[in-house]
Amino acid sequence: MLKDYEKLFSHLEKKEPPTGLFDRIILAIKREQELQHTKRLLFGFLSLFVISLISLPFSWSMLIKEINTSGISYFISSAFSDFNTFVILWREFSLAIFESLPLTGMIAFAVSLGLAAFTVRLFLYQKRLLLGYLRQSFI
Amino acid sequence: MKSHSDKQLISDYLAGDAKSFEILVKEYLKPIYSFAYRYVGNAQDAEDIAQDVFVKVWRNIKKFDLNRSFKTWIFSIAKNSCIDNLRKKKSIPFSRFENEKGENVLIERIADSRPLADEIFERADMTKTLNLAMERLTPDYRMVLFLRYNDHFTFKEISESLGEPINTVKSRHRRALIQLKKLL
Repeated sequence: MLKDYEKLFSHLEKKEPPTGLFDRIILAIKREQELQHTKRLLFGFLSLFVISLISLPFSWSMLIKEINTSGISYFISSAFSDFNTFVILWREFSLAIFESLPLTGMIAFAVSLGLAAFTVRLFLYQKRLLLGYLRQSFI
Repeated sequence: MKSHSDKQLISDYLAGDAKSFEILVKEYLKPIYSFAYRYVGNAQDAEDIAQDVFVKVWRNIKKFDLNRSFKTWIFSIAKNSCIDNLRKKKSIPFSRFENEKGENVLIERIADSRPLADEIFERADMTKTLNLAMERLTPDYRMVLFLRYNDHFTFKEISESLGEPINTVKSRHRRALIQLKKLL
């Protein structure tokens, strides 16, 4: 019986996919790939933007606070006010300045600054893609 | 005859060979397009559905369980896309034999399970008659027959593709044959 019906169904009009459908499908998949890439990029950009927005003022205030409490400003001002002594004792002065550097604050601020710069760079390089996606999604 | 197995192609694609997915699309384009065409009844929608199916397959290929049959998986996606398409258009074609409650009065009254007569093949306008008869069947009946005799699916594969219990598929197949014979 199966063979009978298979024979019968061989009479069924064959519906061939139109030429160009394959290319359209591949193109649609490529567009989908690009869309996913843009979404990921947007997510990355927004995350970095938020992180740098929070960390930049925080690390700046941390750096200022460490500078004020470290005594580095005292050593530097002494070096400038009494330049002759500084020239004689330059090794001790340099060591004292180096030791009083607010390293944690400087590193935190440098990382935040780098992150902010990277975020701005990412936006500038991909602004057409990001703005295009946002325009498409929300307008 | 397929030169690559579906599983092999999927594995290759996931390993970074983009061409493997294109081969997969080429292999399934015709059956999926035909399936969609039979389901929705027009070329434009069938094209859109076929495109939608392959995009969905691409989107979910990473989640695909390689122990399952890819064929039944892609056909189940196709079936859901067809239903979505019809739902959007709100024009699900009902058989002319169905009443408003969705009951098929004709089928219930027919109890003919004889094999098809040989002379039926001799009819000159067989293609036209068969197409017309298929179009008059409900989509559910049409798709069971189509998958069984055009795509050579087993009942188990039809059941997995359509997301229906195997016994439902078998009884639907029997009823569809009865109705088809009557229409022929």
